[in-house]
Amino acid sequence: MKAVGQVVAMLSHVPGVLAAMVVGASDGLIVETSPMLAGAAVVGDSRKHTAALAAYLYSKVTRASQAARLGNPAFMRLEAEQGHICVVGARDVVLVTIVTPDANLGRVRLDMMTAAKGES
Amino acid sequence: MSSPTVAETWVAGPLKRLMEDARLISGVLLYPSGRAVGQFGFSNAADVMSICALTSAINASSRELGRQLDGKPFYEMHHAGAERQVFMARAMAGAQEFLFVGVFDRESSLGVVEIYFAEFQKALEKLLPEKQAKVQGPSGDFEGELNRSLDALFGPIGKR
Repeated sequence: MKAVGQVVAMLSHVPGVLAAMVVGASDGLIVETSPMLAGAAVVGDSRKHTAALAAYLYSKVTRASQAARLGNPAFMRLEAEQGHICVVGARDVVLVTIVTPDANLGRVRLDMMTAAKGES
Repeated sequence: MSSPTVAETWVAGPLKRLMEDARLISGVLLYPSGRAVGQFGFSNAADVMSICALTSAINASSRELGRQLDGKPFYEMHHAGAERQVFMARAMAGAQEFLFVGVFDRESSLGVVEIYFAEFQKALEKLLPEKQAKVQGPSGDFEGELNRSLDALFGPIGKR
């Protein structure tokens, strides 16, 4: 199993990823995070808020997915005006990335899924 | 989910928003002296009275524990139970200090509660009435203060 630091470092080097985080699935607290990439259009450091709310949202999506008898969600992507938030569950943690609008989402998804498999 | 009952009307809005946004089951806002300012999720004055007294004591103990262990007071505490979790923290509004204790379950998370508690603090800061800006210290009459605040929240004894 890769160390969380390695997972964060690997994901943060994917082109278009502004920040990568490993977040506690139940408490929404950041376990490990990369620095927010310079040039990100955010005021202040939004990582703590993003981490907590993304983990919370992922828990609700998991319930919706299970209610629909689809099993656990494999990958969650939230598309916003100025980018995306991607979340993948890995047992007790969730991997969260903040991504630019022009990023290669296929690559981000693949790398996050691979990292999650390594985490679980 | 019932609306908060408050002894000071200016805290009603921020307390309601905290309750809803953080999906708290119950909570009490109080002065460090133990006097209740607002509450939600409780229908019994005795419960709020116990919580105020315990929170006030836990706050004093955890501050001293922080000083002993870390050289500075602990201002925030979280206890995760099997089903429910307790979050306890101080909120500053100007020079006035408040304590807040809230209970949540799996419908929320510590991260979410922390985020909305920070917003709650900002709202208190913004709405703090000028006359309130003068710090309210303990009068020495702990029981009297507690009973007066409970009367404000639940009505006088006999009418509760």
